[in-house]
Amino acid sequence: MGNDRRSLLAWCAVAAAGGFVGVATSSTLPRPSGPVILSIGGRVSITNASGTADFDMPMLERMPQSSITTKTPWYESARKFTGPLLRDVLAASGARGATIRAIALNDYKVEIPFEDAQKIDVVMARLLNDRPMPVREKGPLFIIYPFDDRPELRSATYFARCAWQLRTIEVV
Amino acid sequence: MRSEGRRSLWLLWVGAVFVLILGAVTWLQWRQSQLVSEALLLGGDNNAHFLYQADNEYLRLRESWPRPAPEVSVDVAALQLRYDIFVSRIGVLRDSGRARQMALQPEVARALVAAQAFVARADALLGPGVPQPRAAQLAALYPELIALDAEMRALTQSASDLVAVAATRLTEAGREQNRIGLFMTLMLAFLAAGFAVLTFRELQREQKKRRQLEELTLSLSQAQRAAESAAAAKSAFLANMSHEIRTPFQGLQGMLGLLGKTRLNQSQANFLRIASSSASHLLAILNDILDASSLDSGAVKIVPAAVRLDDLLAEVEALMRPQAALKGLELRLVELPGLPLWAHLDPTRIRQVLFNLLSNAIKFTEVGSVTLEVAPIREAGDSSPVFALSFVISDTGIGMDEAGMSRLFERFAQGDDSRSRRFGGTGLGLEISRRLVRLMGGDISVTSKLGEGSRFVVSVPWVEPLNESTTGNAGYRTRDFKSIHAAGEISAEGVDAVRRHDTEVQISGEASDIGHVPVSRLRVLVAEDNEVNRFVMEAMLGQLGHDVQFAVDGVEAVRMANLHHWDIVLMDLHMPELDGLEATRAIRTGSDAVKAAVPIVALTADVFEETRRRCAAVGVSDFLTKPVSVAELKECLERICLTEDRSIRPA
Repeated sequence: MGNDRRSLLAWCAVAAAGGFVGVATSSTLPRPSGPVILSIGGRVSITNASGTADFDMPMLERMPQSSITTKTPWYESARKFTGPLLRDVLAASGARGATIRAIALNDYKVEIPFEDAQKIDVVMARLLNDRPMPVREKGPLFIIYPFDDRPELRSATYFARCAWQLRTIEVV
Repeated sequence: MRSEGRRSLWLLWVGAVFVLILGAVTWLQWRQSQLVSEALLLGGDNNAHFLYQADNEYLRLRESWPRPAPEVSVDVAALQLRYDIFVSRIGVLRDSGRARQMALQPEVARALVAAQAFVARADALLGPGVPQPRAAQLAALYPELIALDAEMRALTQSASDLVAVAATRLTEAGREQNRIGLFMTLMLAFLAAGFAVLTFRELQREQKKRRQLEELTLSLSQAQRAAESAAAAKSAFLANMSHEIRTPFQGLQGMLGLLGKTRLNQSQANFLRIASSSASHLLAILNDILDASSLDSGAVKIVPAAVRLDDLLAEVEALMRPQAALKGLELRLVELPGLPLWAHLDPTRIRQVLFNLLSNAIKFTEVGSVTLEVAPIREAGDSSPVFALSFVISDTGIGMDEAGMSRLFERFAQGDDSRSRRFGGTGLGLEISRRLVRLMGGDISVTSKLGEGSRFVVSVPWVEPLNESTTGNAGYRTRDFKSIHAAGEISAEGVDAVRRHDTEVQISGEASDIGHVPVSRLRVLVAEDNEVNRFVMEAMLGQLGHDVQFAVDGVEAVRMANLHHWDIVLMDLHMPELDGLEATRAIRTGSDAVKAAVPIVALTADVFEETRRRCAAVGVSDFLTKPVSVAELKECLERICLTEDRSIRPA
């Protein structure tokens, strides 16, 4: 009986701590210490600069990482793309909206429905075959969809949404 | 048969081609979708975009690149970014799957070679891991960058060409697709038409078959109707003949009976006996034929009642004994222990069967004995419930061989041809018996050996009577006696015995053992159109001491019934003007309640159940089947007086 109560209390503590940690991680964002490689602006609730959530590479490295190995139109054979999920990155900035606009270094712009990030495990790749991508190799960030796992995504629409040399995201 | 096979082969062929073509179409579609998916992966229609982008980035890089003179400050970081982007663009052209396609175009190949040559030289200043260059070093490379211009312009041109080529290819692919599609559609249409034709022909054949079948059904049903109406005509004919034959019989037997009352010398009495016996035999044959016919038409119904088995058996034995004694045979009745006292049986029919089998046994036995053994059949052990009764009739007679037994129950068959000459009979008796027993849910079996006698086993299901306790012995006897006299309708030699027995009783003038009060001086109205029969009835009733008046048809009968008070009306059913049924109805619905309630006994020559039902429906009190014997008449009158509760004392 006493044991039960103790374990119940422990459970409450864990739940509260978890809740607190969750709130803490999602309500503040540290300032980037290195060069900013990604800025998320627009309808974001968590910022660390003037109206934007800025990220350097270590901040993205610290997030849970996912990998997609898939064939793409840009390489002759399948490649492994690794990085945080787009949805986690958006969550870190408290983004709320219907559409995100991805803008690349060369000013390439593409609109991605917000729900893509929720429904599909879209990866914001920062490693190609486990190595960082310099700009001349389409880095440093590359939005990639799981084309091999979900063949229905193999269309011009989704290929176009794979913005590489990604620099900025605007939440609309 | 041959065309059947050919058609099936045809269908098989067409079906196979159908499947083949559909398979081909499916494959084509699948291939198409694969190609589209593949093309998308290769970014087929986006190649132009990549070429434009390469050129575009070249122009932007040129914008940012420091010119050789005048000397200006340069934002190396921004230049580095532009340069890296340009390199990545060239890399896309080089690395991706599309490179091979685009390399087919010499302009693209040339541009790639030129651009890569420039990158190789520029990487010395801006490549990875290289210290930041000075503006002058960069400016020195500017002419080479400018020199790329022509090749880069060509990329844009190629992009336009590529779009055109892609469009053309798409159009052609579409056309090709359309052609194949059209061919497939035509093939399918052709096959569908083939199928339609085959199906149509099949349908026509089916229709033809169905029409033939319908015609056959129609003709069969017509034939059946014809057969049914023939059967109905036969029944009607039999009913008529039954009446026609019985009416003169009434006269014949009546007169023979009356003749027997007169003073006769020895040889006259002998002649009379032979004449009576012949008449009885003829009647038995007639009854057999009518019984078989009733069984054929399904008119015979089994009417079970509570029956005391010991009484039934004693009566059968008593009636058969004279017949056996006449031939010097011993007749034994063996009731095995455990026999139930009561059974739920149709007494008339059981008696008819037993009479028939016993008569046969006596007929075919010259020396020895005839035994009727009755036993209960139990499922197992002595204490288990009785579920059937077996009546075993065995004799020590001439017996039969296998062939004889096999033909035994067939219509008109006798043991063998020589026998029919020797023993006579219609050969219907056994068939009738077996059909009756089967109607009761039982069966008859026979074992026999030539020269060693025969053994007939009748088994019928035993059902416990419901009202055993309420059915008194006296009541049983009354009904029993009545049913003996209803035996005018039953067949077989046994009936002769019944009749002879009756005749003996009547002739010897002994009172029967039933204890009825003798009645006399009844006022009797007889409705009878036949003059001979009127004479017979007058003689019989006169002999019994009753007053008789006659009506010669139905109308007169009704008039006279309403005019006077009668103790009993004997009503012939077949009369001119108004038949017996209608006359009865008219009397029953008369205004005087007492006169309307007069007992009416129907006199009928036909023995059909149907007639009895119709009589009961109009309110007939009782039946007498023609030919009527004095004993039957006497018993009937006594019965009527008892049931009507009229104690009419002798005057």
